[in-house]
Amino acid sequence: MKVIKAIYNFIVGDMIILVGVVIAVLALALINNVSALSPLRPATGFLLVAAVLVTLTATLYREARGKR
Amino acid sequence: MQWAIATAAFLASAVEFVEAFTIVLVVGVTINWRSSLLGAFAAAATLAVIVATLGVALVKWVPIQDFRLVVGIILILFGLKWLKKAILRYSGLKSLHDEEAIFEETMAEIRARGETIAPRFQPFGVALSYKSVLLEGLEVAFIVITFGSSVTTSTGVNGIASAALGAAVAGLLVIAAGAIIRAPLTKVPENTLKFVVGIMLTSFGTFWAAEGFSFEWPLPLPDAFIPILAALYLLVSYGLVSWLKWNKQHQLATASANATSVNAQEQEEVRP
Repeated sequence: MKVIKAIYNFIVGDMIILVGVVIAVLALALINNVSALSPLRPATGFLLVAAVLVTLTATLYREARGKR
Repeated sequence: MQWAIATAAFLASAVEFVEAFTIVLVVGVTINWRSSLLGAFAAAATLAVIVATLGVALVKWVPIQDFRLVVGIILILFGLKWLKKAILRYSGLKSLHDEEAIFEETMAEIRARGETIAPRFQPFGVALSYKSVLLEGLEVAFIVITFGSSVTTSTGVNGIASAALGAAVAGLLVIAAGAIIRAPLTKVPENTLKFVVGIMLTSFGTFWAAEGFSFEWPLPLPDAFIPILAALYLLVSYGLVSWLKWNKQHQLATASANATSVNAQEQEEVRP
């Protein structure tokens, strides 16, 4: 458990960032592998950019709320 | 030579080496320079071995497309972590990294252990110096490997060499600056460097992760999209800093207004 925590702290150290990026990657993997979602494939890169920005805003929002 | 990679590795390394240098300096001043430098050089050698073996092995055995996807995701995680810290520091929600305070604190800890200046090697001094350089440098080694190995086309060594060169130059500069002033490097704009590196890591990470998903960036020269991504992240980060600053001031004003109204009510209750 300690090793997993050390790796988590070393790479990211923030649950919102980790969850946000994992959800984004899973969504993009689905878009790339499910034929029903193929119309979204040309927008994969832009969806990733949007996901990164939303994740950054979410983690900062939580910090701002936490300081209240 | 990959200049963008070398620059990113240089900036990231400069931040981490400044932090490691503070501990090396404390050990040098309070215990002795032999122990301090031995620990630091041993850690630098360990990091070099990690970069050389792990970096080349990864590039040789993992297909570049899959590798870029994994590296892109890791760089996004790293980049967002650095960017978040830098934005919080710029907006005043997190205190700035204070090398002077860390220097004094570590010095007090060593003195409390009863360690004194002696000419011979002291295991505690060597271990403390080694640990600090290794821990700070590990993140840099990781950046050098992931960054360097993603840009190369065939062998991967070129990118790693560029990144390693950037890191080595940063290390030498920090050591030279430290040797000249012999004090904690408080003038280095650590937060600005962290902010720039955070933007670069996130931009490169997004670019490679999207390419890992076989996405084609809408420009004749796809690499030209990296500065566009960096500009976008910079703009949004600037907006987030402004929003957090406004939010903090708003909260302070509300708290102050509440305190004033409570005081006024208490005074009215006291009056007959």
